[in-house]
This record gives sequence, C-alpha cells and structure tokens, in this order.
Amino acid sequence: MNNETMNNERRKVAIVPCSGIGKTYGTVSREAAYDVTEDLRPEATQLVALSLLVLGDEAARAAVADCPAVTIDGCKLACATKMVRESGGTVAQDFAVLDVYRRHKQFKPQGIAELNEGGQKLAHALAEEVVAVVDNLTPDPSPERRGEKEGGHDA
Amino acid sequence: MPDLPKKKLGIVACSGEEMAEGTITRLAALKVLEHLRPANTVTICLPLFLAGGEGDRAFARFYPTITIDGCEKRCAARATEMYSGKPAAGIVVTDLIAERGLGKVEGRRRLNDAGLRAVEAAADRVAQLVDESLDERARRWSRSTGTFVEEAPPPETREPVEAACSCGAGIPVSKLAIDGQTVTLIALPLIFEQFRNSGKAPSDDTARDLLETVKVYNPAPAGDEEAYAMALLREYAAFCEKQKAKA
Repeated sequence: MNNETMNNERRKVAIVPCSGIGKTYGTVSREAAYDVTEDLRPEATQLVALSLLVLGDEAARAAVADCPAVTIDGCKLACATKMVRESGGTVAQDFAVLDVYRRHKQFKPQGIAELNEGGQKLAHALAEEVVAVVDNLTPDPSPERRGEKEGGHDA
Repeated sequence: MPDLPKKKLGIVACSGEEMAEGTITRLAALKVLEHLRPANTVTICLPLFLAGGEGDRAFARFYPTITIDGCEKRCAARATEMYSGKPAAGIVVTDLIAERGLGKVEGRRRLNDAGLRAVEAAADRVAQLVDESLDERARRWSRSTGTFVEEAPPPETREPVEAACSCGAGIPVSKLAIDGQTVTLIALPLIFEQFRNSGKAPSDDTARDLLETVKVYNPAPAGDEEAYAMALLREYAAFCEKQKAKA
C-alpha cells in the first residue's frame, strides 16, 4: 500500500482482520474482511494488513489513525484490536469470530487453508455484521456509491 | 523429560492480507507446518510480538526462526528482529517468483495457477532451510572431548498434522531478582524441570550448567555471570524443594 493510495483512501473505514494461520477462526476473519472490502463495500472500506502495523509502516498507521477501524479477531488475544490501538487508531467496533459463531451455531467452520461451507457461511454472516457498522460510520444513501453490488449479498 | 524444544524451527509468515503474495506466505507456512516438516516446526502469529506477552516476544530467541515475506518490505523478517530476535533465515516470495520465472501471481483470496506454483516453491525452499538449520544444529561442540559431535536426529514424523499456532502458549518465563534487579528469563521453568528430571542436585557445578543453558535463550552480561549463577542456583534449590514437597 503506497502513500498516494492511502491518501486517496483516507475517508474509508479500515477493516483489519486477524492474520492468524493456525486456527480456522483466523481464516474466517480474513474471508469476512475480503467479503466486505471486495464484494460488499469496496468503495467505503480498505483492508489494512496487520503485518504492516506490526512493522510500523507509515501508510498503514496513517490509514488507521485517520479513519475509524473495524477489527475482526480470530482469538481472545485480539491482536487486530490491540494493534490498531497501539498504532494510534480508533476501533469503532471490534468483532470476535467466536462471538459471531455463538450467534450462528448452524455454521460450523472447519479448515484453515480452505474453509468448508460452514466456514464460508459464517464468514458471510460476519461480513454482514461488519457492513452494518460500516454503513453507520459512512452514511450514504446510494448503494452504488458504497460499491454495493446489485441484489446485495447472499449470506 | 520435558520437551525443551531446542531442535524445532519457528516459522513466521507475514500473512499480508492485502496482496496475493501474502496469501502465498500463509499457505506455504501451513504446508511446511502440516505436511513437509510437521515434527520440526512451530509457528506464531507475527502481531503477537507486540500484542502478546513476554513469552511470545521470546519466540525467536527460543526457536531459530525462518521468516516468509510476501514483498520487499519484509515485515516478518524486520518485525521479528525488532521485537523478538534475529531470524536464522528468510525468504521473500516476490524474489522467489522472479528467480523461478513463475509468472504473474494473482488472487489474494483464491490464488491463480502461478500463485499455487509459488506456494509449492516457497514451501519447498523453507523446508530446505529447515533441514539446513537442523543439520547445523546437529553438530554441537563437546567440552568433554574437544570435538564436534553429531547428535542423532530425532525421528521425523512425516504424517500430516494440523498446524497449531503458539497463540496463548508462549515460551514460559520466570522473573528472578539478580543483584537487586528483576530480570525476566525465558524458558527457565522448562530448564529447571529438565535439570531436576536429569537428577541434578543443586551444587556449584549445576549452577554453571544452569547458566550455560540459560544463556542459550537469554543474554547474561559477562560481568554479571557470577551473580546470575548464584541467583539461578538459589532459585533452582527452591524449585527442587517445592517439587519434593509436592511429591
């Protein structure tokens, strides 16, 4: 992510998922983040990689310092939430995949490299919850301006 | 005997979610951890160096670490060195792709064919680095014979396992008062347990051995070694008494 891109994206909500590779919930958090930033609200959000925040990358720090952030954590250690705060950002809403799973127990996630169908569905459900927060943070009546795809998202 | 994992390698992937190369690092790390070298590797999430505790930050001092970075920013290698310890080795996926002429990788969510080839290439390269590092570590200096000795390698498990990260299970640490200062020593509980199980009674010889083992994972300033040895001996004696009382 270069500085110019980041400047153009100053108004966007930063979506910061867990970067875990050892647990299914980490993969769910990432998949939900992609759902939001690529499919559901690409114009209103930007994905910020945790590794850049860990390194103290200036552009990534600016992205979370200048915009509200929504964090998605894969485990109780809450690295995403902690790192955004550590980087001077404001966490508008923090999500924990486990909490979302408790609300959607019919979707049983499995797999790390490749999520099963339950994991995909849980990610979509989580993404919808993130979108509701994003819409509150960036009120805009026009779905097109938010980048919302016609027909919304099938969770 | 407690598992004092001197022979394991730590794998740290940048996992950069914003680019396809980040996905390659993650999948390559998983392949090494689960399929290629499951018996010899462990991992930790990079953010835990800041968001975790002292045990997490001790990771790269405890495990010789191989970093897998997606791009030239080398977040994994640089952050590991900054917050934990200097990595033993590392690869950069963009360099590997260029070297091998693997083509344009795309799809941070779903990798294209070039991306999948890059996962294979990165995983193979990391497995090779694991083997090289283990070979080096198999040669240890023997003080008794004054020669290098080859240690028998542990039997390797080739059965795939499920990767488990070290989240919440960092290296155990202990705090010790040394010359009026509180010092955090990583791996000390495991070292004590290993010594006790080996039947080593608290003594001056044991104090020296303890210091040597502790120094594998912790800095001990040269001028303070005697104070460290005394503090270790005192703490080890207390540990042994406590274990005896428990039995």
